[in-house]
Amino acid sequence: MKKLWKTLLVLGVAFSLVACSGNKTETSEKKETETETTEKTETPETPETPEAPDTNGTASSGDTIKIGALQDITGKTATLGKMIQAGAQYAIDEINAAGGVNGKKLELITRDTTGDVTEAINAFTLLATQDGVSAIIGPPVANIGLAIAPLSEQYNVPILGFAIDTAVLQNKDGVTYKNMFLFQPSDDQQGAIMAKYAINELNSKKIGAIYRSDNAYSLGLVDGFKSYLSESGSDAKIVQEVQFTATDTDFSTMLMKLMNAGADVIYAPNYTQELITIAQQARAVGYTGPIIMGLDAAPPFASLAGAASNNVIYINNITESEPKVAEIMEKYKAETGADATNKFFLGYDVVNILADTITEVGEDSVAIRDAVEKLTGYEGLTGIISINPENHQPQGLEMYIHEIKDGQSVMIKQYSAE
Amino acid sequence: MAIQLLLNGLAVGSVYALIATGFALIFSILKFSNFSHGALMTLSAFVGYFVSAGTGWSLIPVLIVSMLVGGLIGLFGEFVAFRRITKRNSATFYYFVSSITLGTFYESIVTIIVGAGYFVYPMFFSKPAIWIGNFVIQTSSVVMLGISAIVLIILVFVLQKTKMGRALRAVSYDRDTAYLMGIDVFKTISIAFFISGALGALAGVFLGIYNYTLTAQLGNLVVKGFIASVIGGLGSISGAVFGAVLLGLLETILIFFIGSGYAPVATFLIMILFLFIRPQGIAGKSVQEKA
Amino acid sequence: MQFYLSVLTLTLITIIGVAGVYVLTSLAGMFSLGQAAFMAIGAYASGILVVKLNWPFLPAAILAVLISVIIGFFVGLPTVKLRRDYISLVTLGFGEALTAILNQMTGLTGGAAGFSGFPKVISFPIVLVAAIICVILVAFFKKSKYGRQCIALKGDELAAKAMGINVPKVKMIAFLFSVALVSLSGVLYAFYVTYVDPTLFGWKLSGEWVIMNFFGGVSSLTGSILSAIILTALPEMLRFLSDFRMVFYAVVVLLVLNFKPAGLLGTWELTPKNVKKLFQKKKEGTHASSGK
Repeated sequence: MKKLWKTLLVLGVAFSLVACSGNKTETSEKKETETETTEKTETPETPETPEAPDTNGTASSGDTIKIGALQDITGKTATLGKMIQAGAQYAIDEINAAGGVNGKKLELITRDTTGDVTEAINAFTLLATQDGVSAIIGPPVANIGLAIAPLSEQYNVPILGFAIDTAVLQNKDGVTYKNMFLFQPSDDQQGAIMAKYAINELNSKKIGAIYRSDNAYSLGLVDGFKSYLSESGSDAKIVQEVQFTATDTDFSTMLMKLMNAGADVIYAPNYTQELITIAQQARAVGYTGPIIMGLDAAPPFASLAGAASNNVIYINNITESEPKVAEIMEKYKAETGADATNKFFLGYDVVNILADTITEVGEDSVAIRDAVEKLTGYEGLTGIISINPENHQPQGLEMYIHEIKDGQSVMIKQYSAE
Repeated sequence: MAIQLLLNGLAVGSVYALIATGFALIFSILKFSNFSHGALMTLSAFVGYFVSAGTGWSLIPVLIVSMLVGGLIGLFGEFVAFRRITKRNSATFYYFVSSITLGTFYESIVTIIVGAGYFVYPMFFSKPAIWIGNFVIQTSSVVMLGISAIVLIILVFVLQKTKMGRALRAVSYDRDTAYLMGIDVFKTISIAFFISGALGALAGVFLGIYNYTLTAQLGNLVVKGFIASVIGGLGSISGAVFGAVLLGLLETILIFFIGSGYAPVATFLIMILFLFIRPQGIAGKSVQEKA
Repeated sequence: MQFYLSVLTLTLITIIGVAGVYVLTSLAGMFSLGQAAFMAIGAYASGILVVKLNWPFLPAAILAVLISVIIGFFVGLPTVKLRRDYISLVTLGFGEALTAILNQMTGLTGGAAGFSGFPKVISFPIVLVAAIICVILVAFFKKSKYGRQCIALKGDELAAKAMGINVPKVKMIAFLFSVALVSLSGVLYAFYVTYVDPTLFGWKLSGEWVIMNFFGGVSSLTGSILSAIILTALPEMLRFLSDFRMVFYAVVVLLVLNFKPAGLLGTWELTPKNVKKLFQKKKEGTHASSGK
């Protein structure tokens, strides 16, 4: 037995040495093809051409048009990624049932990031090289987006993503990454929308903020909120802020600190699970005022947090009062038994945008990229989307502000950051 | 405010104490750090969740069932991961690898069953908080503090006064001699794992109730138990309790005054400080590394 | 191809980390749950030097490893005289503290949003050369005076002390050597991937490295490297298994622990002499069986 192991090992090492030397030659080949591609970028190229030896079998020259989904299917943020994937698949099924695009069917190829940066890079490389996709539906998590953004420059596949941190779209010198796009309001815009509401509608003067200091999403929304407050010239200000981290259990001490500072509104831009705890503990320690939350307090938050969710105000990409949204929700529920959340509709809209674009310019990924950059006035379920070609963000995209009353979400107003 | 902080700190500290004692018990008997303890907590907390969501029972029966299951998970862990290692008298190294792997195993099972989502823990109390004059304390804190105190007192009594407790202490002191004295060593070790598992389950369910939600990441909180155990002295039960309460109080005070961001830095520095000035821990029982 | 190259490069970076843990765990018998934190120090320190202070890569990398070693010295100081359990708990606390610092010092580290903007100076050939050098260094260390003293104190600390080995000093040397290798792997990772964030360097990663070491063989460097390859590259090829691969991984390690306690290769090393012996024995074996 022991001997078997060792023999296997020796063979393995011998094999890997051969493989390594093989790899090296392939590396140099690789470099040549890379330089070729960079030279050729002026003339539109399909992404799979430079990878021709590898992608012969999967190239989209077949009878389907491939769209990649780089999503968190497992890991901490899987609930978000799975919803986007489900929405995208739903849209693709609809389109294919109606005959597809340009006579071809759409096909969704999902690669799991597992919520881990290293895995995400491998998954992205697979999509961009071997899978031969025309475009990629990007992840909703900033850290993953930040990791793949510099890498995306070396391929010619556009990534239509949802990570609201604008650093995903621009590098340190403020140059926009050519392939990265955002398809929901950025954190600056979302923070501004919430701040605007606090000042204009709630007439708040003293705001208390509670947020997670080890979470980029939370921090981005706080920054957006703060910069709107300081630019608006209003006398409302953040009187007290408290930060928590992943391993904190006791929010009551922090919430009391906000109450002691006389906060009339609490701003809590955090993940749903944390929001449930915060809402519960806030009500338990006697805070009855309004709590402003981000997208994460959208359904099913109200049903999960129970009575504590009353007087919670949140923003959403969609509103259930829109008949088409309600119809899809109902149908999806009937089909799968699961509830479609706002992330579902982000995925849904992006696939439809892609389908429209492909109808117009064909399935070439560079042509798609150029067309997406010029997108204006697309009427989706998540609002009227126009992409700003300068920064690749949606411009003036409105969000729906909801308030939870007696456990029910009520749409109050549509707001954009401008 | 000071009294308010004290109450919150004690409540948090009492849960840390449950984690730390479960950890210390195994350390005292087999002389290794059981890194699977966190994942055991998660697993048992989910058992508690499914039991109460499925049956609608009240708190006490849910706790009892969870503790029993937690104990059984402890027994299972001992059997699959540590029994043979102990029989071989292997080096601590093996326990370390074994416990980390066992933890990974439990954790991935939880992930497969429940996925990455979160679960809303059932609420056992009709009133979420109790007001005493100007002070407010969450009902869950009061219950946590009370039940933890009772359980820990029972544990100390069992260890000090019963035959089983004496056997446990004998095995932890010197396994071979205990064996020669006619103690069934493996039965005793099993008992220790059962108790440790039950304590971990109790801590897990409490954390679920206190947080109102439950995820597969709950087990990460075990770090607090480890740190408390170092402050209190590795392997000392009473030290673990003191260390945990101290840690709970310190954290609450730190969160209030400097915020939670740097709290791990502060606890690390305190841990290092203790190692420098009092390496044997608060309890002062120094465990020698045996040859 | 790009994909396989990327997996291979990341595997080689892991091998450097695992070689570092090998020195600490397999040779000196200490287990750290904070080695990943030193990987973080390597990545962030070199990143800050290059991106924020415009240092050239090489001196920045060297200084980053040096900084890790200095910090490692202070972390190791209170623990080397104590039971070996303390080092795992203290390094665990250190890892938590470091994550908090990386999250808080937003101006310098980018906080929770991570540190981006690393120039991509690292490519596969550089990593390959670095990995080979590191493995050779570790192999030499194992044969050196300190390496043998490490093995002695791993087996029996009291006896080692009685033999006149300066136990705390040897422990410290092993710890710092390990820190240097691990932080180098952090530097390489950062400048290959061009992005790091604090969540990458948790104690789970450190624990995984220890398991890899064990899985390959209790004190076999060959085994450790081999298992690093198997356990990093294989899951990558088996992406479709997703959640189940961790269960699989754990069950295999538990089986090995219970039934093959020396790990896959025990103490066997891949040296020309051993390979020769292996094939000779094999020949004899086949002769014997054919003779029957």
